[in-house]
Amino acid sequence: MKIAYWLWGLGVFAFSLLCVSEVYQGGQSFAHAQQEKPSKSVKTESTPRVTNGLIAFYDFASTKGATVYDRSGVAKPIHLRIASSSAVRRAKGALEIRGKTIIRSDGNASRLNQSVRQSNQLTVEAWIKPASRNQSGPARIVTISRDSSNRNFTLGQDGDRFDARLRSTKSSKNGMPSISSPSRSLDTRLTHVVYTYDRRGRAMLYINGQLRGRRTLGGKASNWDGRFHLALANELSHDRPWRGTYYLVALYGRGLSQKEIEQNYRAGAGVFAPPTRMAAKPKIDPKSFVATPAAIKHFETKIAPLLARQCLECHGWKSRKGQLDLSRKVAALKGGKDGPAIVPGDPESSLLWESVDFDDMPKDRPPLSRGEKQLLHDWIKSGAIWSGTTIARADYAPDRPKGENWIQRLTVRQYIRTVRHTVGVDIAADARKLLPRDLRADGFSNTAYNLNVDLGHVEAYARLAQLIVQRMDVQKFASVYSKSRQFSDANMRTIIKGMGRWLLRGPVNESEIGTYLTISKAVAKEGGSFSEAVSYIVEAMLQAPRFIYRIENQAGDGKPRRVTGYELASRMSYILWGAPPDRKLLDAAGAGDLADVRKVRAQIGRMLNDPRAVEQSIQFIHEWLNLERLENLRPDRKHYPKWNGQLAIDMRRETTAFFENVVWKQEKPLSALFNAQITYLTPRLARHYGITPQKSDFARYDLTGIPSRGGLLTQGSTLTIGGNEASMVARGLFVLHDILRGKVDDPPPGLDTTPVPAKPGLSNRGVSIERIKDQSCGSCHSKFEPLAFGLEKFDGVGAYQEKDRHGNRLREDGEVLFPGSKKAIAFTTSGQLMDLLAGSSRVAETITWKMTQFSLGRPIVKKDIPTLDTIHKAAMARGGTYQSVITAIIMSDLVQKVQTESRR
Amino acid sequence: MSKTRISRRTMFKGLGGATIGLPLLEEMLVSSVLAAPTNTVPTRAFNVFFGLGIPAPLQTEGFAGVLEPLKPLSDKLLIMRNVDQVRCDERGINAHFDGASGAFTAEPPDGEAKSGGPSIDQVVRRAVHPKGMPPGMVPTLIGGTYFRRSRLSRYVHSYNEDGTVAATMQERPRDLFKRVFGDVQVPDNAVDKRRQRLKKSVLDSVVGQYKEYTGKSSTLGKASRARITEHLERIREYELRALLMRDPRTPARPEKSRLKHGGAADPNGQGIDITLEELTGEWRLMADLYALAIQTDRVRFGSLTFLAAGERIRLTGDYKYGGKTRFKFNDSKQLRRSGDQGCSHEWWHKFNEKKRNEALRWHAHMKMREVAYFLKRLDGADSKEVNGKTILENSMITISTESGDGRHSNVRRELSGVFHAITGANGRFKTGEIMDVGAEGLDVYNTMLRGMGVSRRLGPVRREVRGVDKIRA
Repeated sequence: MKIAYWLWGLGVFAFSLLCVSEVYQGGQSFAHAQQEKPSKSVKTESTPRVTNGLIAFYDFASTKGATVYDRSGVAKPIHLRIASSSAVRRAKGALEIRGKTIIRSDGNASRLNQSVRQSNQLTVEAWIKPASRNQSGPARIVTISRDSSNRNFTLGQDGDRFDARLRSTKSSKNGMPSISSPSRSLDTRLTHVVYTYDRRGRAMLYINGQLRGRRTLGGKASNWDGRFHLALANELSHDRPWRGTYYLVALYGRGLSQKEIEQNYRAGAGVFAPPTRMAAKPKIDPKSFVATPAAIKHFETKIAPLLARQCLECHGWKSRKGQLDLSRKVAALKGGKDGPAIVPGDPESSLLWESVDFDDMPKDRPPLSRGEKQLLHDWIKSGAIWSGTTIARADYAPDRPKGENWIQRLTVRQYIRTVRHTVGVDIAADARKLLPRDLRADGFSNTAYNLNVDLGHVEAYARLAQLIVQRMDVQKFASVYSKSRQFSDANMRTIIKGMGRWLLRGPVNESEIGTYLTISKAVAKEGGSFSEAVSYIVEAMLQAPRFIYRIENQAGDGKPRRVTGYELASRMSYILWGAPPDRKLLDAAGAGDLADVRKVRAQIGRMLNDPRAVEQSIQFIHEWLNLERLENLRPDRKHYPKWNGQLAIDMRRETTAFFENVVWKQEKPLSALFNAQITYLTPRLARHYGITPQKSDFARYDLTGIPSRGGLLTQGSTLTIGGNEASMVARGLFVLHDILRGKVDDPPPGLDTTPVPAKPGLSNRGVSIERIKDQSCGSCHSKFEPLAFGLEKFDGVGAYQEKDRHGNRLREDGEVLFPGSKKAIAFTTSGQLMDLLAGSSRVAETITWKMTQFSLGRPIVKKDIPTLDTIHKAAMARGGTYQSVITAIIMSDLVQKVQTESRR
Repeated sequence: MSKTRISRRTMFKGLGGATIGLPLLEEMLVSSVLAAPTNTVPTRAFNVFFGLGIPAPLQTEGFAGVLEPLKPLSDKLLIMRNVDQVRCDERGINAHFDGASGAFTAEPPDGEAKSGGPSIDQVVRRAVHPKGMPPGMVPTLIGGTYFRRSRLSRYVHSYNEDGTVAATMQERPRDLFKRVFGDVQVPDNAVDKRRQRLKKSVLDSVVGQYKEYTGKSSTLGKASRARITEHLERIREYELRALLMRDPRTPARPEKSRLKHGGAADPNGQGIDITLEELTGEWRLMADLYALAIQTDRVRFGSLTFLAAGERIRLTGDYKYGGKTRFKFNDSKQLRRSGDQGCSHEWWHKFNEKKRNEALRWHAHMKMREVAYFLKRLDGADSKEVNGKTILENSMITISTESGDGRHSNVRRELSGVFHAITGANGRFKTGEIMDVGAEGLDVYNTMLRGMGVSRRLGPVRREVRGVDKIRA
């Protein structure tokens, strides 16, 4: 019946906004009609309003009087009375509250209360214009209550948010807990606000057609108090006034759907309301957003880390909760089971934004900060530009090592090499004895922040400087810079300039020359010789900050600047050689040649042909795979009674020689390290591997006939990472972290993490599979343990076996799921697994990352990622060899530029 | 392994024939000349760390349980339960790393070998001695007996303002001895005055250049400048030792450690076999030396570690306490496993409130016994100071560990209820209580800093300060 009634109403009053506007401007008829008495219809514009379930409706059409009529057309209308007419100003279709008053139902709102009690549902809708954002309490916009602590329902304003409370069997008499819209969701513009409570106990708050708050209240409205009044603009106890303008208030005995709410929003505030955001949203063309370099950088430095930190644990390439994968652009735009997560240009239509804005996500964790929300909102609004790469959580892990400008102290190894290549003295034995060891930090021992200094260093530097000078032919050394042995200031100055430039890796300034001349003068004063003076000066230079540290000018305006020629020379030589620049490189720096890209490339080519480059590359593989660990390998004698400590040394030799062959002799792509079909073995190690020794000494072996071996991961040096038990966890984590740059999280709460041992009938793989099947463990362990499945036939010391010591038959097949990939790839042999790793772009990228970290002497930080991509692409374009990667690193901004710091 | 206890008194008595051969260094007898006047009690702050922690439920048993060895010192300690270090959590990693890094800093790690902020001892040091320590004093002493390494924060517990380690770890008694009392190796006999003068000119030139890089015209950034400043301070220390300290009667150093150190102490993360006698023998020598360094006022700040976070040892030996054998350690046999899975660490993985946890209890009890050993070394008659109190009573010593639950099964549980105990710091903090603090470690530490008169606060700048006033005297 109601529908028919409404259709009739529409037939009479369905004006367009323009048409109504004309009526309002030009004549009396419509306005006059409204003043007569409550109409039996609701005025709408072209979009019809929803009427089903309407209980009360106020369009404030009357301009006079103290009554606000309920124009729902429902029997027993609930008219409202304005308590203080001086506090309001009435206009056609608007009631402005200018002072403290209340507009309340004459009697109790029993029909309303009863209706809600019966249906267990409610919708309260209002078109309003708040007077300010400073009203709180909450200030009552619509209330069905008795006083400030007893209510059935209240919609209020609390600063810049809406707040709604509803009594149910699960909430308090005061309607707590309340539901709020986000901060800054309320302003003084005309606003459509709707509260719904549905039969499933879900409370939702919509603003201008968009869901802006929700909470599952549960319970029923059966405890609503039928004696409570309906009121506007204040609490029944007159202590929560609200100021602003009402244009429309409607109450329904059911929870309107989002579609219905959108319909009412489109229908508008009423004919007398000021123009509002009723126009349909313009269609946004995703192609209109351009992926500028700045936008890509913004994504990589701000958005990707945010998504990685806050979202990817549950919505990553592997987890995909709710079928939503936010790690890849295509998948993210496609969305999950609830629809598109990201609508470029339209945050309000993006589920990602909605869930974050309402603090629904991240689940069970603190909500995003206001700044983070703003970032996300603005990014979607600007077209949700992606860099095109997959976001891997590990790459964007909390940027803890902040990449500060830590000065690089020479490591013990660099110190030894620097002494050897500058003054020709081998100080290795003494330096290793006297200098404190450099400890690994973030995977490498040259990590600058950890290269600290203690008394032991200072003492050792002094002692070593003296030893070095004692072993030098000082006069010969000085003769390079001056043939004269004259002990004069002028000659000493010449020598200091020359020696200083060489030992300190760049020109010395006047102040430094003066400092060293002081020594010369002190020697002269004591009646010493030219040779003695040179000795003391060299001793001082060997302890100078410019010798012990790789000093660069870090002062500036806070922006990166291009390094000077000498700074670049030093960077290049320590990256390529782990040693100081030679004379050719220093001369090139002095001549300004290192400002020329072609000449820099030529220098790199020259330096790569030097044995020092090979030595440095071997140092890289030692550090990356932590081969020093082998020195201390002590497998359990009970399990490995045949273990011989020399095997550990053989294993290290194997990996070193293998690396040298693949990288330098064959110049293969670095990814070939994972499946190259050769190795180097001593007879002892060959027997340990089950290979018949072919030669009496350390020699190269062709592995094409030995399918189980071939590549780094089949060598004892890496297989021993699994420990006595050949742990799938330890091996899998090694592959995940160090080969694939992956990341896993903490075990979930309450989990028993005690390792389960293999036993008869249950191999290591069996244990793994049980763990992966376990709901609690599987989501993480499935990311890394299968990576070790192909290695199960290798025991804890790298020997090959078909059965473990419990008699369990072992397997080598499995599936590998690379970070960022959607689909696992099956393999049947360890050889196939090695081929998959060798062919993986992720593996190749990881090698580039590791080499870059080692080159820079600091952990990679987020802001490096765009440059790393450039490096990697450049290196791959030139074959992905060690030589191409190291060249790309040196040519990149990470090496060519230095981050300056402003002293202000 | 010598088990002779070293003390200031025995050292003074034993001149010329000291039982373990400590050197008689002039500075040790006249340390006050180099350090503080003798009529004042210096401000000291030390962190004492023990590995693997005490599960929170066991802490509730008070001195009737694993805390029994602390009972003789109970009136000089405030034992704090329910201290929450959850903010130190670094996702994806367990408390052996992040909890250990958070001990005394209340910050998660900032890289594998760096804490997210300074440790409390260093904050106090910088506040009390903003221009550096008195000449001749070791600015920070970090020592310990431990085996597990892999990550530095497992065993280092003093951090600079920038989160880097505050000093080199001394893990052998002989190294610690050398760092504190050792005569630096001057690069020749230096009896030749002429040569001494020339050496001085070399050192002056070196100092001058380091000063250039720390001064106003330095071209270095903040972190680099701090590193060079540190280097300069160490040169100053070297200079003082090299040129001022001479004692021809310097006797032999402590005997060489018989335990494994460096990488050999942590073979592939699989743990080591060790007897209780070997362990406590070396630790007690280390503790004696550290205590002596404090007693002679060569050291006022630093940290001492008894077993690393997540330590892996397979301990054997009879455990005696109160004159009785209380337990027989034999981890590998009792766990019926070898390698890493036969280590005492596994008792923490297996902790179950409903069970006896006997092996864990005695391991924890033993750790408390050894921590108490060190504390008592600062509480004897030879540790009395001008105010009539002992060094233990006058110092701010914080004792903590990495975790309140070693099962790694719940970040919140793992980093909640982390055992803490502090000394009174010359009447600044309550002692003689076991207190349910119910506060974050950060707030406890900041309250301690406030109690020490230090305005610097740990943690996020904008975070509201929540004082834990109930710990203050």
